[in-house]
Amino acid sequence: MTWAAFETLLTGAGTTVALSLAGLAIGVPLGLALALIRWARIPVADQLVATYVSLVRATPLLTFVLFVFFVLPTMGLELDPVPAAIVTLALNTAPFNCEIWRAGLTNFPRDQLEAAEACGMTRTLAFRRIVAPQLWRVCLGPLVSEMTILLKATPAVAVIGVVEITRAASRIGAATYDPLPPFLAATVIYTLLIAVIVQAQRVIEALIARRYGYAAP
Amino acid sequence: MADAAPAVSARLVCKQFDGIEVLRDVSLDVAKGSTACIVGPSGSGKSTFLRCVNWLEQPTTGQILLNGAPMGVVPSPKGGTRPMTAKELALARTRVSMVFQHFALWPHLTVLGNVIEAPVHVLGRPRDEAVEDARRLLARVGLEAKADAFPHTLSGGQKQRVAISRALAMKPEVLLFDEPTSALDPEMVGEVLEVMRDLAKEGMTMMVVTHEMAFARDVADTIAFFDAGRVIETGDPKAFFTAPQTDRARRFLTRYGI
Repeated sequence: MTWAAFETLLTGAGTTVALSLAGLAIGVPLGLALALIRWARIPVADQLVATYVSLVRATPLLTFVLFVFFVLPTMGLELDPVPAAIVTLALNTAPFNCEIWRAGLTNFPRDQLEAAEACGMTRTLAFRRIVAPQLWRVCLGPLVSEMTILLKATPAVAVIGVVEITRAASRIGAATYDPLPPFLAATVIYTLLIAVIVQAQRVIEALIARRYGYAAP
Repeated sequence: MADAAPAVSARLVCKQFDGIEVLRDVSLDVAKGSTACIVGPSGSGKSTFLRCVNWLEQPTTGQILLNGAPMGVVPSPKGGTRPMTAKELALARTRVSMVFQHFALWPHLTVLGNVIEAPVHVLGRPRDEAVEDARRLLARVGLEAKADAFPHTLSGGQKQRVAISRALAMKPEVLLFDEPTSALDPEMVGEVLEVMRDLAKEGMTMMVVTHEMAFARDVADTIAFFDAGRVIETGDPKAFFTAPQTDRARRFLTRYGI
């Protein structure tokens, strides 16, 4: 494998990371917003979110990408490949994040909320001061797990012409008639990326444990 | 004369959960500066009644008055009432504080953080002032040294004393205790009851749901005996403990060896 080929792979890796980060930056907060809608049982919106979550959970990512890229333009929403890829990844990960946040909210100790209410906190204040600071710690593990799934799902967007790691590797393999080196290199890159994410999680959990003496309530 | 109004007045409070009657026509007055102990068998509605006072449970019918002002509802100009908005209810709740059976401290905040949380963020008091106040309250329950500790490092008795400081930090008109010693090891019950005795002596208005009969007998100004969702006996503790009026109360007290 030549240096130029390796550079292609690295560029692909950059694309994978950028797509994942963009997907996360939208998907994680969006998931929280959806979870809060369900937690607060806002009429109609609650039902809509539940339907959205069920639909996306049942749709393969590849199908979802093709839908966003080819079907949305017929409805007047035309997106370039990269924005389409980001939108797809974000909308795909949001429902899973929603379920993670929602599980954290549902299992939040009731007595703590009652103590907040009894002190005269409104729901919003109780969420901000009591729930949120603990919620993200409980959800950290599952959220990181969903992040790694998102990162590994990015090759699906190759189908609309976005060149990420896997697409880059297969191109190199096709050009050199020697697929083993690029795919081995691709595997190493994926492994390193996942290792970085998991390591970051460990560091954060260790910091929480040191500060509060426990990893999660 | 508004000043003569009881600190808490419950009038014909009824509560149903999914059609099951939990409280029926409960009426009780707690005079300002007095301590009312609510006793009775498990499942008789004592805790539910206490939780109606600060509207953690909404009475199905009936009224709660705090120093004459209705809780949970606002009289409307045309007569009748409307439910309080979330903001009005939150404001009304700042007048009553509650101590829970399982402490319900917030584990992500230090002891000091727990005590100043609501005064600063709900009442909007200046932080320095709230901290000073909190240190004084913690000193009074013997926990000034634990101000910077997190709740999980404390014993049950210490947690409950922090919870009492947190409740007092709101400078409430009434303090509600929901079985404050039931989750404690026998050795830690005393330290919590001692704090409560002092509060009673200082003229704090308190409503205490408890199974500690000795405490009720010594400290209460009024006893309310609950059975099956009703108050079947109220009055002076001496009379209640030496000569209960009802068979049910007599049988109940026998089990405590009284």
